[in-house]
Amino acid sequence: MGELRVDRLGKAYTLRESWNRMRELNVFRDISFTIRDSEFVSVIGTSGCGKSTLLSIAGGLSQPTSGEILVDGRSVTQPGLDRGIVFQEFALFPWLTVLGNVAFGLKSKGTPKAERERIAAHYVRLVGLGGFEHYHPHRPSGGMKQRVSLARALAIEPSVLLMDEPFGALDAQTREAMQNALAEIWMKTRNTIMFITHDIREAIYLSDRVLVLSGRPATVSFELTVGLPRPRSRFDPVFQKLESSLEAAIGHNPALAAE
Amino acid sequence: MTAIDPDRRMASAHEEIKIGGGFKAGLVNFTFLAAPIIAILLLWEAVARLSGMPAALLPPVTMIFAAVIRLTEQGLLFGDVASSLARLFVSVIVGSVVGTAAGVVMGYFRFWEKTLSGPLNFLLAIPGTAMFPLSMIWFGLTEMAIISILIYEVALTVTLNTWTGVKSVDNSLIRAGRAFGANGISLFWRVLIPGALPSIITGYRQAFSRCWRILIVAEMLVSVTSGLGYRIYWGREYFNSDVVYGGLLVVGIIGLLIERVLLRGLEMATIERWGTVRE
Repeated sequence: MGELRVDRLGKAYTLRESWNRMRELNVFRDISFTIRDSEFVSVIGTSGCGKSTLLSIAGGLSQPTSGEILVDGRSVTQPGLDRGIVFQEFALFPWLTVLGNVAFGLKSKGTPKAERERIAAHYVRLVGLGGFEHYHPHRPSGGMKQRVSLARALAIEPSVLLMDEPFGALDAQTREAMQNALAEIWMKTRNTIMFITHDIREAIYLSDRVLVLSGRPATVSFELTVGLPRPRSRFDPVFQKLESSLEAAIGHNPALAAE
Repeated sequence: MTAIDPDRRMASAHEEIKIGGGFKAGLVNFTFLAAPIIAILLLWEAVARLSGMPAALLPPVTMIFAAVIRLTEQGLLFGDVASSLARLFVSVIVGSVVGTAAGVVMGYFRFWEKTLSGPLNFLLAIPGTAMFPLSMIWFGLTEMAIISILIYEVALTVTLNTWTGVKSVDNSLIRAGRAFGANGISLFWRVLIPGALPSIITGYRQAFSRCWRILIVAEMLVSVTSGLGYRIYWGREYFNSDVVYGGLLVVGIIGLLIERVLLRGLEMATIERWGTVRE
């Protein structure tokens, strides 16, 4: 389990506007926050505000233009097995079985085969896919694919789990089922999680804290501690109040419309 | 039942899609394959015997088969097939290794793609058989003249297919591979090549069939001492048209068998991947 610290992070792109002119697009600037050990933090904001970029930098898949991200005190510059990523598009390897996918990171670590399969099987069961170990990932449904994706990230037992709008591609019912599943799983594993979403209710249901990213260039404009005991009810009146606060926080910036 | 259990109703609806279909389907397939061929052979026999055309131009099927059997008895057929296949396999293996490596490099590294795609397309525009005068200048009338062209052709075909295959690997898979520890060379082995495999195998199949066709012609042009192309050529020289037809028949059958065996073998392994790497 670990700590993720974002320190004055900035990201700018240089775009080619015409053959002789470049334009600088400042995605975000001076973002700082810390996610403590075993904390579940959501980052919300509308599409295009840079939250996926933020996660990508945390994962080591892209580089910031200023500032840095530290995981367990170490600066992140490259992808690494101390961070597990769950992608919105699942990104499962179709030539591997469910078990093979989940064990992928373990193989990278050099874990011997029997051990790998044992650990992978454990996580496959943990996400509720016991019995599907030898299926190829094109066969199960979207919700099940995302469970595989989650198991793959959990299996490397990372310091930090980075989840990039993982339920965005699912239909509403499956999404709700997956939120419930994730909440249950998290109560067992207690990973440090950075969870990106545009769904306010999802963020409140799952997280300890919610950070709002807004503005252009984006900054952390609002922070909210959820404080509700788990397991949570979506019909709790406090829930509705928190939802209103967040909607208002996002609503402060007219350039953003809640999705 | 907790939230972790997936919907069991959905889960139990997995259909077992039959691959191959079992014995009965195999029999039906075979009938479809064999029936037209048998019909053609019967028609041929009738026309050859009844139309009054000289046997030198259109020998009856029975005479062609007799020639093939004669060559087998003389031990020549076996030797020819072995020589041709040996040239084929050597060229395909060497060419494939080179082509796969080049294709993967071009598919992943923008620099190499830009540098090599021009020359690649240039060379692809020149027919392989047209390169023979060149290889004969370099290597004389030897085995190397044939093998070099074949390796060259195979390498080009495999490079092209591998390159496009690797390029088409979904970027999300590459990100996932890197995120989960596949870096450098291991990214190639664990993500890019498996991801591009359907295209790569298509490349191998094209390479095999192209190579086989060029090989037979090459054996006619370059003086070798055995091989199917050689046998066909000398059949003409000695006015043995039954040998010519017979040789062509064997060439066609072997080509078909390679295609079928390759189709079955390698593609069975990729049908597992379901031919698509798009999520």
